[in-house]
Amino acid sequence: MSHALSLTQLRKSYGTQSVLDGVSFDVPKGAIVGLLGPNGAGKSTLIRSIMGIVAPDEGVIQLDGEPWSRERVRGIGYLPEERGLYKDMRVGDQAVYFSRLKGMGKSEAVRELRSWFEKLEVEGWWDKKVSDISKGMAQKIQFICTVVHKPGLLILDEPLSGFDPINARLIIQQVRALAADGTSILLSTHDMPSVERLCDNVVLINQGQVVLSGAADDLRESGWAGEQDVVFKGNDIAFTNALGTLAHLDSIGPDTVEGTRRAHLRLRETTPPGQLLQALSEAIEVLEFVKVRPTMESLFIQAVNASETPAT
Amino acid sequence: MRGSLIGTVIEREWRTRVTKRSFLIGTLLMPFLSVGLVVATVLLTDATDTSNLILVEDAPGLITRLDQASGQYVPRCPGCFPEREKHAYRFVREAPVDSVWQAEGYTVLVEFDESILQNHAGYMVYEKSPGVNAKRYVERDLSRAVEHARVLESTALDWSAYQELKVDIQLFDREVTDGGDRTDGGGEEIRGIIGFLFSAVLFLVLAVYGGLILRSVVEEKSNRVVEVLIAAVQPEALLLGKVIGMGAVALTQIVAWSLLSTLAFTAFQWAFDSGAFTAGMVADGGVPIDLMTTMAENEFTAILLDINWGLMVLSTVAFFVGGYLLYGSLYAAIGGLVQSEQEGQGMVFPVIMPLMFSYVIGSGAMSNPEMDILPWLSWFPLTSPVIMLVRVAVGVAWWEVALSWLLLMLTARGVLALAGRAYRQGVLHNGNSTGWGLLRQWLQGHGK
Repeated sequence: MSHALSLTQLRKSYGTQSVLDGVSFDVPKGAIVGLLGPNGAGKSTLIRSIMGIVAPDEGVIQLDGEPWSRERVRGIGYLPEERGLYKDMRVGDQAVYFSRLKGMGKSEAVRELRSWFEKLEVEGWWDKKVSDISKGMAQKIQFICTVVHKPGLLILDEPLSGFDPINARLIIQQVRALAADGTSILLSTHDMPSVERLCDNVVLINQGQVVLSGAADDLRESGWAGEQDVVFKGNDIAFTNALGTLAHLDSIGPDTVEGTRRAHLRLRETTPPGQLLQALSEAIEVLEFVKVRPTMESLFIQAVNASETPAT
Repeated sequence: MRGSLIGTVIEREWRTRVTKRSFLIGTLLMPFLSVGLVVATVLLTDATDTSNLILVEDAPGLITRLDQASGQYVPRCPGCFPEREKHAYRFVREAPVDSVWQAEGYTVLVEFDESILQNHAGYMVYEKSPGVNAKRYVERDLSRAVEHARVLESTALDWSAYQELKVDIQLFDREVTDGGDRTDGGGEEIRGIIGFLFSAVLFLVLAVYGGLILRSVVEEKSNRVVEVLIAAVQPEALLLGKVIGMGAVALTQIVAWSLLSTLAFTAFQWAFDSGAFTAGMVADGGVPIDLMTTMAENEFTAILLDINWGLMVLSTVAFFVGGYLLYGSLYAAIGGLVQSEQEGQGMVFPVIMPLMFSYVIGSGAMSNPEMDILPWLSWFPLTSPVIMLVRVAVGVAWWEVALSWLLLMLTARGVLALAGRAYRQGVLHNGNSTGWGLLRQWLQGHGK
């Protein structure tokens, strides 16, 4: 199966400074891929290379299984991190202009834009000048201009920056809907909760290299360090005794429901969760036994730290 | 597809500017201001003229006789003292003292004695100056009346026979060209002024619109629109679209100015010729005053009649197109290389130097339109847009104009391509260096 986007050994240097150092990953069709990385990791250069704004020194970019071309790039919906609008133009005229640059006819653009303006609740702003609208409103217009031509591949660089939580949720809903309709999405962001909520796959780059990649669930699963939450009814001493040497107790205290207790444990490497559950069930009444997988944020920090630690 | 994208960029650049209130005001105002200047020049002299009732004291009885029927003194020469709207004569042999003729409503007393036949001089007495026109009328009318007296006194001719014999010689200039042909020529200074006026307008339009391009490019960079644009349009195409779009705005303005000026002038001419401003006024020959005659009499407006408007407007538009493509693309490239308009102004100076130099030379050509350096500068593409207009006004072989324009267009084409690459380097650049530093990097081949 061809991918919406496929990068192979992408390299780019500015003078002696290497910004991209052999980056390879794919964006499967219909998937939302989170592109993560600390500031200066090379995310923007990577995106600008895909968009043809900078020319990579080496490597192959394929779009829809075909070699990169300017014409194919025009089909991509691109929302750059540093984005803006013409202040002296009317909102509607400006959206039509951007749509036409993406190859849409004028009447088609107006029709599609009107529908999107309604979806994002900005229909009353069509005739306003950009200088008269709020920053959040302008962000919505930019989002609409990015998606109006129904791109097969969307590249969103920090799409939620500048949005209040209500509007951020509205945008997330639309991103999900687009993905559900088959749009492939590369989402570059520092907002880890949105990565957890949205992304099927994650690519983490640092210092121009991919340091972690894969399905988000798999990564969290493989990053599991034996952490477990247990909610129970019973005696703390009986609970501790039942743990024995199977797990290390991090904390214990009352849970939200009266008479219940919550403990946070870390299993020993050799202890299967089932064995611990059996041991605990014999001593106390176990109400919940939940595997605590690492957050994307902790995986991110771990991976970045690991990639920056010199090998011994 | 590339063409339609450029077309979309051109359309936006054009539409957003021509629908601006400032553009509409400037476009509508300019023709009415310029035609208004002509109107004011023609009318103001008349409007500011005070009514003059002139008492002519013909003590020696040279130019007047007593009309028995009316008991008034009247000119001997028929038609020498025509009645004008704000200019009337009465004649006496002996004028009363100043306070009396003033009290009787006269504003000017004209005095002379028999010596006027030899020394051609008299006096004009007044409390308040009657104005330049009044003085000119009196001098002209009195001259003809004295001439009439001298003809009758010194010759056997009667006045009408003398009038028929009298000739006014007018010399028309003919220039011998390098090829040995004779062409209409002469009046180079006036035509030099005309040429300079057109080249000054061109210089201003090039500088103003170049500045607008620079501002527009810097704005697109600072408001981050450019990142979205170049994802869809190649930088070179974007630059071309911007330059052509803004040039179309300038051309729209020039064409609108020409049409509206023609319209306003035609309306004024119609009103003037139909007597709306000149009721009751007649020229010397007794025919009604028309605008062209009136303009020809005025030093400033006479220049306007000397202009071959068709040729000059056509040349201005042609050299504007070439000059604009050349300088506009340089301005756009600078806009791409800098971070602020202020920084851009610093880089613009060396670029605009040839244009300023040609403006200075053009102003010198007003007084000396045959300067040796002019032909060279009118072929050199960086100076030809301004200088060739001076030469076109003065008179130049068509092949020189065509060759100069061709050179200009070819250079503009090359500069446009080069500017497109510099613009690409500027707008796509990710580092810290800007302006001259970035240009140096690019020239050294680091700006890939």
